[in-house]
Amino acid sequence: MNRRTFRHIIQFFIFIALQILVVRNVVLFNTAFCYLYIAFLLFLPIQMPKVMLLLLAFITGITVDIFYDTVGINASACVLLAYLRPYVLLVLTPRDDYEKNDTVNLHVMGWRWFTVYALFLIFMHHLALFFLELGSFRAIGFTMAKVALSTFLTFIVLIIIQLLFFSIRRSSR
Amino acid sequence: MRNLFAFIYRYRGFLVFLLLQICCAYLIVRNNSYHGAAFYNSANGYAGRVLEFQRQIADYFRLVEVNQALVNENRALKESLTNILTSDRLDSIPPTPDSTFRVKPDSLTLAQQRLDTTGIVRTFEFIPGKVIKHSVRLMNNHMLLNIGRLDGVEPDMGVVSGAGVIGRVKVVSKHYATIYSLLHSQMKTSAKVRRTNTEGTITWDGENPSEAVLDYIPRHIKLANGDTVVTSGYNALFPEGVMIGRVIAAGQEPDKMFLTVRVRLAVDFDNLTYVYVVKNNRRAERDSLEAVSGIKDNE
Repeated sequence: MNRRTFRHIIQFFIFIALQILVVRNVVLFNTAFCYLYIAFLLFLPIQMPKVMLLLLAFITGITVDIFYDTVGINASACVLLAYLRPYVLLVLTPRDDYEKNDTVNLHVMGWRWFTVYALFLIFMHHLALFFLELGSFRAIGFTMAKVALSTFLTFIVLIIIQLLFFSIRRSSR
Repeated sequence: MRNLFAFIYRYRGFLVFLLLQICCAYLIVRNNSYHGAAFYNSANGYAGRVLEFQRQIADYFRLVEVNQALVNENRALKESLTNILTSDRLDSIPPTPDSTFRVKPDSLTLAQQRLDTTGIVRTFEFIPGKVIKHSVRLMNNHMLLNIGRLDGVEPDMGVVSGAGVIGRVKVVSKHYATIYSLLHSQMKTSAKVRRTNTEGTITWDGENPSEAVLDYIPRHIKLANGDTVVTSGYNALFPEGVMIGRVIAAGQEPDKMFLTVRVRLAVDFDNLTYVYVVKNNRRAERDSLEAVSGIKDNE
C-alpha cells in the first residue's frame, strides 16, 4: 500500500466523521444542507478505474445512509456521481492531457477546471439526493431551492478545504 | 461466447452502475414499505455507539435548558397528582386500610396505594429514554433513542415527551430504538380538537418543523385559532388527550371537502432530550379483537 492509497483511506474516515458528527447539524436558512462527504469521491485519483470508483461510491453512500436513516438514497446519488465523474473528466481534459499522477487539486488544475468539475458533480449528486428523498415531484420549487443553495454551500466548503489542506506544489509521488 | 464476455467487459462501467442502482432502489423501496432492513439504519449497535458518544459531548452545552424542562415537567406532574388525590372520583372509592391511621402519609405513596388497591389497572406504562440523534429538516425525519428491547421497547409503540406527541417506534435493537418522528412525511397520527371533539389526522407537509396539518375536519365545524389539538385515543399508540398542538389557521378552500387546518406543534423538535415510550398493556388484546372482528385497517 503506497502513500497515496493510505492518504485516501484517511480522507474517507475524516470526511465521513466530519459529515456525521459535525456537518449533519448544519442547515442554513432551513434550505442549505452541506454534504461534505462527497469530497472523498471527488478527490480520488483522476486515473481511478471506473468499476472501483462505483463500488467505493456505493460503500460511502451506504455508510452515510446508516447514520441518516435514509437507506439507499445517499448511496444511489453517490453511485450516480461516480458514474458521471469519468465523463466529466474526459470533457475537461487539458490540452496536453492529464499527467500520470495528477490529483484533483485546485492549485494544480486551476480555478476554472475545479469550479466546473466540482459544481457540476455536486449539483447532480444533490439533485438526485433531494428528489429521491422527496419520493415524488411535488413541492418542486422548494426542492430546487434546496438543491441550488446546498450545492453552493457544499462547493464553498470544498474550496475552503482545498485552500487549507492541499499543497500548492504538484505532487511528485 | 467470447463476444459476450467482450461485450460485458466493454460496458462494465455501465453494467456495474446499473447493478448498484438496482440495489439502492431495492433498499429504498423495502425500507419505505415495512420495518425491514434493520441493519441499515442507526439502530444497529455500532452506529448507535458513535451517535451516543457525539450526543454525550453535545449535551454539556445545554444542561441548563434540559434541567429547566425537567423541572417544568415535574411541576406539571405534581399538580396533576394533587388533582387526582383531591378529585371526587377517587374520594368515592371505599377507603383503604391506611386511611384509619391518623398520621398523614406521604402523598406519593398514598396515591400509589390507592391506584394499586382500588383495582385501577394501569393500561399505559411509560419507559423513559434519551434522544441521542434527531433531525428536523429532512423530508423524513427519524430519531434514535438509547433504550431498546432490553428496556421493553417494541416496534410500533408511541413516543411522547413532557410537552406532547413525538412519534412512533420503527425498529428496535438490543439497546437502541429508531423512531418515526411526527415530522415524517408518511407519519399519520389520529387526533381530535378538544373543544369540538372532532376527529382528524395530523400529517406533516415537510416545510416547517414547528407546524403540521390537520386533515379531515368537516366543513361545518367552526374552529377558532388557539383550539387545542390532542390525540384521539382511537388507536392503541397513545393514551387519549396527549397534547399535539394548537390551531393557528383554519380556512375553507372552494375545491376541498374538508377544512385546511394548520397546527403549531407543542413540542419543540429542535430541542429534544428526554422522551417516554408508551407501552400499552392492553394492546395485544385490542389488536386481536380488532383482527378477529375484521376491522383492523392495514396502514
